[in-house]
Amino acid sequence: MQNPGIKNIFTKFQENLNTEQELREEIRLTVREIDQSAKEAAIALQIIHTSISEVSQGCLKARERFQECQKGYRKLAEIVPAGQYFRYSDHWHFLTQKLVSLVALTIYLEAGFLVSRETVGEVLGLEVTQKNGFHLELEDYLIGVLQMVTELARFAVNSVTLGDYQRPLMISRFVADLNAGYRMLNLKNDGLRKRFDALKYDVKKIEEIVYDVSIRGLARSAPLAEIPSGDKEEKAE
Amino acid sequence: HGGNNRRRHHRGGGKHTNTQATVDESNPILFAFHGFAKELDDKHDRYERIVKCGRDITIESKRIIFLLHTIDQKKDNAGKVLEEAQLRLDKVCSTNFAEIAKELSGRDQYQYAKAFSPGLQEFVEALTFFEYISGKEVSDWTTLQEKLKYKGEEESPPTECLVQPIEFMLGLADTTGEVMRRCINSLGSGDVDTCFASCRFLQGLHAGYLGLGPTHNREMSRKLFTLRQSVMKSEAVCYNLRVRGKEAAKWGAEENLLEKGVDPANADIDEGFF
Repeated sequence: MQNPGIKNIFTKFQENLNTEQELREEIRLTVREIDQSAKEAAIALQIIHTSISEVSQGCLKARERFQECQKGYRKLAEIVPAGQYFRYSDHWHFLTQKLVSLVALTIYLEAGFLVSRETVGEVLGLEVTQKNGFHLELEDYLIGVLQMVTELARFAVNSVTLGDYQRPLMISRFVADLNAGYRMLNLKNDGLRKRFDALKYDVKKIEEIVYDVSIRGLARSAPLAEIPSGDKEEKAE
Repeated sequence: HGGNNRRRHHRGGGKHTNTQATVDESNPILFAFHGFAKELDDKHDRYERIVKCGRDITIESKRIIFLLHTIDQKKDNAGKVLEEAQLRLDKVCSTNFAEIAKELSGRDQYQYAKAFSPGLQEFVEALTFFEYISGKEVSDWTTLQEKLKYKGEEESPPTECLVQPIEFMLGLADTTGEVMRRCINSLGSGDVDTCFASCRFLQGLHAGYLGLGPTHNREMSRKLFTLRQSVMKSEAVCYNLRVRGKEAAKWGAEENLLEKGVDPANADIDEGFF
């Protein structure tokens, strides 16, 4: 009944589907491995909400996990055929965003600044630009940083609970800069925009904490502008 | 799309602030985000440009399909129409798709695939319908892929427009709707052979799609449902021809469709755009 040409098309398409399916399965497995390490890094970093003195240890532990993730990403880069990153990228978008937020948080806790895209790429073993191969998508980086801000808002609350009244002020200034940065972007109506819309709630939360701490004179310091960010932070730790 | 309006609004605003406020280079965060803004804008603008090309392709493809439907045995105009259709199909390849290929050059082909996917599907529909009517073997995506490769001018590398097999299969599924229309039209003009041939072609395609494994594509299942309806419609036409002879079928076709439970509103979908 079927003419041979048509039949041929369907057979060819079915073969095509099958090979793609196999590759996707392999990708899924690798992504799951990385995801496991990412979860462990996230758990290691949870220590910051309960003990300020253990922050640096938490960061070290997280960094060990990042090394595992790096191996995973290298493997992923080998599996995914060149020039087909976006064909399969749905599998690792969320994971990468989560990892960016963890790396950004670690680096903020260690050094007090926003991790650059290049550094995230280095830590996770990803290229920065599409041309060089398996890369870190800009949107994933930006969304990851936003996720970190939510974690920082929580950290601000808990650092007050733990008696570190300076921390919220520093976080507040850092987040204000980020907020200004994100406002420079012309966002389309996509996932990034939705995530950005949630930023204001984090900003508000952090500002309220700063207000609470300041009005009670709990922040022993002079006015905000005079706090040099670097050395104050070291004292706090 | 509300999103588009919003975006346009934002872009206007963004440009304004960009020229007004020079970036404070001492603030590394703002400096970095200045770069990000540029990169995102480039991406969004490129996407919009490709969408625009895609829309042009959709419109022209629909017109070509309409043109192909004007083929009438009585008027004996097949040769002329097919010739014109061929010219117009080639022109879409050499202009609209070439523009998209230029935008895609040096980038991951899959990144912007969604931007012109409706246009590509419509073009596949027009192309396969053309091949079917002109009695040629229906080609597959590799043939089309070859057509959409462009040699670069000096120094610039060759470019191409990616044809994903799945897109091709979705376009091919659309073709069935056109073949069904042709089947009904031929009934009107008394071209019995075409009715039976179209029906057989549709049945073959239907069987092919039934045999496919899961494609993980939401569009596909919707198209298969419509495909099934088209097959049943053309089968009803053939049934009528057989039972009542061709004169009666012309009058009875519509009522018969209703009896068979085909939604009357769907019975004659005009895709518009003409």
